Amino acid sequence: MAAVQQNLPKMVSAQLRNKANEFLNSRKYANNLADILQMFEAETDNYSPLLLTIEVIFTELLRRGDLIEEIVPLKPVDQSPEAEYTRWLRECYETALARALECVTRGRTNSRLQALVTCCKLLQAEGKHPLESSTGYFFPSVRLKNIFTVLLDSEQSMSAPIARFQEFTEYRDVQQYGLKVLSALAYRKSPTPTYMQNYLELLDKLLLTEIQFENKTKLKNRDNEEKEEKILCGSEDKVPFPYNPGVCRRYANRCWSFACQWPLCAEPRTHRRALLLLVERLMPLLTRPHLATDMLCDSLDAGGPISMLALQGVLELVRRHNINYPDMYDRLYAMFEPEMFATRYKKRLMHLADIFLSSTHLPESLVAAFAKRLSRLALVAAPGDAGALLQLVHNLLLRHPPLKRMLCREPDPTIMSSDPYVMEETCASRSRALGSSLWEVSLLRRHHVPAVCSEAARVLAAASERAQPVSMAPPEDAQLFDAELKKRFKTIEMNFIRPQGMTSPSGERVMQFWELMA
Amino acid sequence: MAKVKNKRNSGLADKVHNKRKVDGVKKKLNPFEVHINREKIKVLGKKSKHDRGLPGVSRGKAIQKRKETLGTEMKLMNKTNAFIDRRIGEKNNQLSSEDRMIARFAAERARQHSKKDIYNLADDEILTHRGQTLEQIEKFDDPRSSDEDDDEGKKFGGLGDDFVSEGHFGGGILSKTEAKDGAKSHKDLIEQLIAESKKRKAEKQKEKEQTLDLTEKLDSEWKDLQPVVFKRPRIEEKESVIDKLLKQAEKKNEAYDKMMRELRFEKRGTPSDGLKSDEKQAKEERERLEKLEQERLQRMEGDDEVFAPRTQKPTPKHRSADDLDDNFDLEDEKEIMLAYDKDGKPLLPENVLKDYSVPNAKPKFEDGISDTSSDDDADDESEEDEEEEANDSGSEEDDDGEPNQNESLDKKDEKPNKINSTNDKQESTDESDDESDDNEEINDLKEEKGNTLKKQKSIELKKENKSEASKTKEKEVTNIPENKTKETSKANTIDKKEANGILIGDDEDESDDESGDGSDDGSEEDDEIESEKEGVDDLKDLKESEEESADEVDAEEETEKIGSFFDLKLAEGDNLKELLTGKTPSQQSAALQKLIKSYDPGLAVNNKELLSRLFAHMLQYVNDIFTDLKDEGDIIKAFLIFDKLAPHFYDLAQTNKVSTKKFLVELLKEKHDNYLKRPKRIPDLDTLIFFKLVSLIYPTSDFRHPVTTPSLIFMSEILSLSRFGDAFSISRGLFVTSLVLEYTILSKRLVPSAVNFLRGILYLCANTSILNPIQVVPPFKLHRDAKILNLEDDCSKMVVENKMAAKDFALGEIDDDFKIRCLNASMGLLKEFFDYFNEFEAQACLFEPHINLAGRIDLDLYPKKVRSKVSEIVNYMKSALEVKTFTPLTKEQKKVKALRLYEPDFQEVFTGSKSSKLSRENAERARLQTKYKREMKGALREIRRDKAYIASVKIRQKIHGDNMRKDKVKQIYKEASIQQGELNKLKRMK
Repeated sequence: MAAVQQNLPKMVSAQLRNKANEFLNSRKYANNLADILQMFEAETDNYSPLLLTIEVIFTELLRRGDLIEEIVPLKPVDQSPEAEYTRWLRECYETALARALECVTRGRTNSRLQALVTCCKLLQAEGKHPLESSTGYFFPSVRLKNIFTVLLDSEQSMSAPIARFQEFTEYRDVQQYGLKVLSALAYRKSPTPTYMQNYLELLDKLLLTEIQFENKTKLKNRDNEEKEEKILCGSEDKVPFPYNPGVCRRYANRCWSFACQWPLCAEPRTHRRALLLLVERLMPLLTRPHLATDMLCDSLDAGGPISMLALQGVLELVRRHNINYPDMYDRLYAMFEPEMFATRYKKRLMHLADIFLSSTHLPESLVAAFAKRLSRLALVAAPGDAGALLQLVHNLLLRHPPLKRMLCREPDPTIMSSDPYVMEETCASRSRALGSSLWEVSLLRRHHVPAVCSEAARVLAAASERAQPVSMAPPEDAQLFDAELKKRFKTIEMNFIRPQGMTSPSGERVMQFWELMA
Repeated sequence: MAKVKNKRNSGLADKVHNKRKVDGVKKKLNPFEVHINREKIKVLGKKSKHDRGLPGVSRGKAIQKRKETLGTEMKLMNKTNAFIDRRIGEKNNQLSSEDRMIARFAAERARQHSKKDIYNLADDEILTHRGQTLEQIEKFDDPRSSDEDDDEGKKFGGLGDDFVSEGHFGGGILSKTEAKDGAKSHKDLIEQLIAESKKRKAEKQKEKEQTLDLTEKLDSEWKDLQPVVFKRPRIEEKESVIDKLLKQAEKKNEAYDKMMRELRFEKRGTPSDGLKSDEKQAKEERERLEKLEQERLQRMEGDDEVFAPRTQKPTPKHRSADDLDDNFDLEDEKEIMLAYDKDGKPLLPENVLKDYSVPNAKPKFEDGISDTSSDDDADDESEEDEEEEANDSGSEEDDDGEPNQNESLDKKDEKPNKINSTNDKQESTDESDDESDDNEEINDLKEEKGNTLKKQKSIELKKENKSEASKTKEKEVTNIPENKTKETSKANTIDKKEANGILIGDDEDESDDESGDGSDDGSEEDDEIESEKEGVDDLKDLKESEEESADEVDAEEETEKIGSFFDLKLAEGDNLKELLTGKTPSQQSAALQKLIKSYDPGLAVNNKELLSRLFAHMLQYVNDIFTDLKDEGDIIKAFLIFDKLAPHFYDLAQTNKVSTKKFLVELLKEKHDNYLKRPKRIPDLDTLIFFKLVSLIYPTSDFRHPVTTPSLIFMSEILSLSRFGDAFSISRGLFVTSLVLEYTILSKRLVPSAVNFLRGILYLCANTSILNPIQVVPPFKLHRDAKILNLEDDCSKMVVENKMAAKDFALGEIDDDFKIRCLNASMGLLKEFFDYFNEFEAQACLFEPHINLAGRIDLDLYPKKVRSKVSEIVNYMKSALEVKTFTPLTKEQKKVKALRLYEPDFQEVFTGSKSSKLSRENAERARLQTKYKREMKGALREIRRDKAYIASVKIRQKIHGDNMRKDKVKQIYKEASIQQGELNKLKRMK
């Protein structure tokens, strides 16, 4: 099947290339264009060759300026064949664009992506060689609007095309005009969840390149900035594109304010998306960030990964915008549950907790409760997480010296009959953790992974040492398994008893629970 | 004092010293010269040497001494020539002249007595007698030359007395007249004299010649006679006959004699340790194991040093102040231990090796194979890939299962046949024994001894087998450890070959070949494939011929295969497959053993490398037999094969530790990568079995180990990432958990994922309600898959096995039986894990959820045995936690170092000397040191005084010189003034 398929597109694309060349070379073959446009209807699955062809044709036409219609005001429409032809070409151009946009929603993923790229390329070509001849900078916003309309589909998730669109959002003009267009498009009463998802993703991508604040850019490396900035539709002989971060910021605010009116929190996926966008990209841009407080607070109460994400926003609010949040620490405390290991944001949570708990003004009992809870969790965590948790505990111990009493109870310790710490207590400072000891850490000294083991030893040694708290290690990509494989060993130890079969001579356990050979 | 320039001055001081002794006639003391030293403290009974002294006298003495030594030396300073009287004792007044002579003679003798030949007492010393050497006296000269002796007695040159009296001195006047009668003139007389003497001389000459002739004659005659006198007549007679005979005999026996002599002179066996008794041997073995166990424990505690150095800095090595910054490169203090692995390559990281020139150090590889191994690896990998492709294709076809099934069916059919041929077995064992003898390593004595017993046992076993039905038989044979059944298995091998080889062999081989060829197609050239195919065909022919002649051909074929096993690098994997397929596990084991033995590393150079490659292929083989197992029979069979192969894995790993480790690690890595592609899906047995293999080969208890640590991490990843929602995953999860238990049984390490998994399983078993949830840890989730292991029907009457079984791996739907056994096994596992942490306080919080969950299980529905076991474990855990005490963590008490205090030095026996406490060496040392100090002090003082003396001498000389000069100048002036006076006088005269 694959072989047959491979040959066909090759043939088709070769044919198409011929046709396009003929069309571009002489007007005799003008009908070729019509043919090509016709072929869109015949095809159902893979539009890529067709899209590439029209991209080639119209980029060339735009470059030549064949599409420019000379309209002289107060004169009847030119009826000459030349003008007719131009008009026909314009029509074809519009059709082609429409076709390409249609293709974004249809067919194979590859061809969809190609369609988007074609649209963008044509947009770029038109920006460089505008249909109405002008000297200034021109950005074909209408085309962008069309593209966005397609991307913001209500039914179909456009994650893949939007992800592809990322390569164009790097251009400053696309970013600025994109935000403008998006803010114009955004107004809508009751969007579907998919629409919201697409919208948020698109906005996320548009804000990917950081929007600098004006005062910063002006003062500092302005020259560098201008060199680095990439402009999609600009060319040397034109006026440079006037990039204005303030405008961008305003539009971004508008986009967000529209989105705020939607029921973002109805569906967890959208909710997560929105929070991520807000926390990662929008917070610094918002003019009045405290308006997001309500949403963040609601999210914080939602539990699970959503509250973890909201936490970051709240932290931002607390730190930068003087928001006072009640029971902040209890909420943080409640987030440390075994379920957190299953979420993607556990690293973020640990990082945030490290920041939250770095204040030296916190009551001892609260920090102790955290230390206790973290070490409890480390007991059941996967090796990587356990290491990170222990690191966090270590930092706590270093930042809050009174906690050292959980490691070394100085004058004659009394033996207790149970652990005074109450795991179930929701209020951190009431969990009586200060009376307890970090027995969990001493158990973790027997962890099977050497790295965790040594980390635990370091925590235990924290009682006597005075060191700088280490900043939480960035999420490590290197797998523990691979790291272990890379270790060098002087010798390779072997078992000293030769096994006589499947049962190992020293402490066989598998066969004790399994009857495998009968 | 300047350096002694001349040797001749060196002995001066001694001489003077000696002289002083000689004239040691004491003068009377001048009382005015005596100086009495005041005694500060008077000690009773103490003899003082220094209570009085003679300062003047001693100073005079000292000056005199210096004058004689330093003074003379100074005189001779810068002078090259000197007369030295070296006659011995010449200057010594004490010696009499005779003593002097004796001394000189002795010196002469001593001089002659060279050291060269101390044992040759009298050789070089020439003894004389009357001034003549004895040699000269004793020489027996030719009589001819001794003629002067004759003349000696005669006076006057042999002239006659009358002649002399007459002729000499003018003759006598008195007798002259008488003589005149003869009227001889003086002239006549002289002539007569001459003639007479000549005549006498001639006579003498003649006489002499005659005697000479006679002696010569006598000599020659004697020489002729000699043989007659000395030879024994017997020999003369028999020589001709007997000699010949003897010679002939000798020639005949030469070989024998030679051999005998050789034997006699050959080095006997070197004395070695005597044969050890069984007990002794067992004891030694035990001791060895104990030692190894100790080492293992050390490794288990192991790298505590990993974090210890963080707190305590390494103490700097002492450097004395002298060698600070003296621009010498300090030697690198880091000591490395140079160790070699079995192949004689150093076991060190290469960066270290670079610095040191280590023999045999191969540039790159951390493993033992030679440099070519990189190519091999590539090949191997590609090969593996190919094989995998083949497997894939196999699985796509979905026909894979069938041949196996056929096989098992066939086996069942053939089993009765086996029993028939016990006689054959006996023969075949003999044969195989012979064969194997060639290859066999020298077994331990013990083993050999045991062999006879084992043989008996095996025979008994056979008898049993005879009587018993077919299916149970195999079980028994295989259950007995391989070593014991070596003989039986060998026997069985051949029989079964008869059975299986014929019927199944063809089918299977064909399929295998096809797949093998198919995989080869891509990479190999056509020629090779053809040749291979031919080879395969040949083998097939051989197999067909087997039908007629069973054993020998088969054995031959096998040896042939073994012989050509490593011929083609690419075909090795296929060769192995060929060698092993269609055989029972024990047969496979035997075949492998043969293969391994025939490529013993002692036999050829590159065998080691070959064996390491074999290891890789065996891994591949195991991988193959464990892939895509669909039904219980296959799984059991795979495990049986693995059971037999495992020891060989161990052996191979022992022979080449480094490369086998590399293979295993690569395999693990590949499996791990595969797993990470779909982390939610638990890996199948073809991955899990290697964990078991690793635990068989490597110690699992080490703190850190290149193989076991990664595999344990892998397992814990499996348990913490995979999703457990069906029988497939749960059974494998339990298998992994029990493997984890096995890995940690000695070290008692915490593997949270295993504990969490058990918690999850209990959660699945428990009758949980949504209202009152008990937390679970990911990968398990609240309310997901809940109750899938929950027993709903009353199964209290059901009879259930204790253990999980192979069939569980193939289970599609979860049934009650499975549920019950799952609970049973996981509770068993849980107890083991629980016991790990008995002395830890945190045990409580770790296992509390388990106990809670176990409480939710509706135990009434379970069979009685299981119910009692579960409740027993739960109660045990509960009671253990109840009595648990929580001791708060405390800092490790450091011992306070006491301040050093001065204490009275009590001596049990007071000797007065400080050094009494010291050891003998130290006392000696202290004594010498004080002596040295004192001597040093004295020497310094002497030198000071020497200097003073020299200075005084010099100034005196200077003054003396000056005076002389002044005198001379005065003299000159005087003379000049006289002259002037005279001149003036003369002038005045004019």
